[in-house]
Amino acid sequence: MKFFRSVGQVFGYSPFPTLVKHAVLCGRAVGILQKQFEAYERGNFELVEKFRDEIDELESQADELKEEIRTHVTRSLILPIDRQDLLEFLRAQDEIINNCEHVGHMLTFRKAKVDIKIMDELKILLAQLMECVNEYEAMVDHIGTLIETSFDKREIQRVLELIQEIESLEHECDQIQMKLHTLLFNSEELNPLDVYLMITWVVHLGYIANSAARAADRFRLMILGR
Amino acid sequence: MIDLLIVFGILSAFYVAWNIGANDAANSMATSYGSRALNLRQIIIIAAVLEFLGAAFFGKNVVKTIAKGIVPIEILDPNLVVYGSIAALLSAGLWITIATYLHLPISTTHSIVGAMLGFGIAAVSQGHLSLNAIKWDELFKIMLSWLISPISGAILAFFIFSIIRITLFRKFRHEEVERVFRYLQVFTACYVAFAHGSNDVANAVGPMAAIFGLREGGYYEIPREILAFGGLGIALGIATWGYRVIKLVGEQITRLTFTRGFSAEFATATTVLTASALGLPISTTHTLVGSVIGVGLAGGITGVNIGVIQKIIFSWILTLPIAMLFSIGIYTILVVFV
Repeated sequence: MKFFRSVGQVFGYSPFPTLVKHAVLCGRAVGILQKQFEAYERGNFELVEKFRDEIDELESQADELKEEIRTHVTRSLILPIDRQDLLEFLRAQDEIINNCEHVGHMLTFRKAKVDIKIMDELKILLAQLMECVNEYEAMVDHIGTLIETSFDKREIQRVLELIQEIESLEHECDQIQMKLHTLLFNSEELNPLDVYLMITWVVHLGYIANSAARAADRFRLMILGR
Repeated sequence: MIDLLIVFGILSAFYVAWNIGANDAANSMATSYGSRALNLRQIIIIAAVLEFLGAAFFGKNVVKTIAKGIVPIEILDPNLVVYGSIAALLSAGLWITIATYLHLPISTTHSIVGAMLGFGIAAVSQGHLSLNAIKWDELFKIMLSWLISPISGAILAFFIFSIIRITLFRKFRHEEVERVFRYLQVFTACYVAFAHGSNDVANAVGPMAAIFGLREGGYYEIPREILAFGGLGIALGIATWGYRVIKLVGEQITRLTFTRGFSAEFATATTVLTASALGLPISTTHTLVGSVIGVGLAGGITGVNIGVIQKIIFSWILTLPIAMLFSIGIYTILVVFV
């Protein structure tokens, strides 16, 4: 249909649906990471590599979404939040999936001998991380309601509570990490190279939780600073 | 020969009215479709009926402005008025057609004002009028209103949405507020259609009124049939083509909730109806753009693209001289060859 004039152009790009999609990808990456660790435990390294590729794929999809937002959020767009805050938040959120990618790679470096006690503790850490990222996704998903209610105070309160929840989950991740480090540094019977590898896993799993907490903090600044 | 020309003029007026219905009326009504307050069928019925009523019962003042507010037709030879009015209609119709095809967000109001001015200037160049006889002060007032109307839409919409937000969103649950405004938006949809009809009918039938309104002894009266005729053309435009445009534009603006749609529509309709009462021909669609920006500035809509302002200013600058030049050309051809 060619014969029309329209004022529809005044409705420009909205970055928020894409922002939510990006957060969903982060959550999915952590989910795959969990499966990747299970495959590692079973010694199915083919599957470990397959999961690495899947996370890589998610990460590159997330990069596309990030680029989409960054190219469309121009200064001529009126947004209900500060543009700079939005871009800072996006950068922080993108770190979550970047860190997932790193861990995904680290699992393919070496076929370490798996210690059951350590693996169990790792699974606890991963479960905690999953919960943290789930809460995180729920937080980002709130942006729709926040906008619809024009940042109603009650709605903001709800989101702030979620952010605190994420922060306390991240703190619990820290505790589990400490426990794991203690375990690992006292495993004289294990191959030092294996220990070293597992320490890097633990450190980088911690980075995932940290980046979720940092992004949540950015989210708070964004919705309060509008 | 002159009768044939007049028939031709009537046909072009009807075409312009049809195009206004198909495009401008549709754009104004698309907010109701975008927010899903009404379905397409309801919108078509509301738009057709209320555009017609607005045109027939409230369109007089603006028609008068287009007919005799720019060119002093009382002091011209009636035959020249026929040529000029038909030249204005044809050129406005032609430019609107081109712009529609190119998807330019132009205004039919600007087109007809430019075209009438072209008629006046052509009459001046042929010595039928003095340059001072053209009502420049009136023209200046009209152009000023083009600047003021989108700003007025923006300010009104900003305040209306802010008031809704501060008083209602805080006290009641958000879903409940939206539900009430779903029904209120039926009212504003009617309001917009009525206001639009009252202002934009002149773009189609203003020049017709210049031909038929002149009575013996310089007495001037706008025949009601002409207003109704224009209203009918607009209604037909909505029914035969406008529904496609409503659907198309409505799908671009799904981010509008009922409260947002209400604010934008109420601000637009109030501005346009005020202009109609003052006899000022303004662009409803530009006012609507202003209102949407107003809601956006009040934090109501995300991703309002103010880059569109540039496009609109560009279309202003383009429309006036082009419509004017077309009109001068057609008028000259008519005077020389007919």
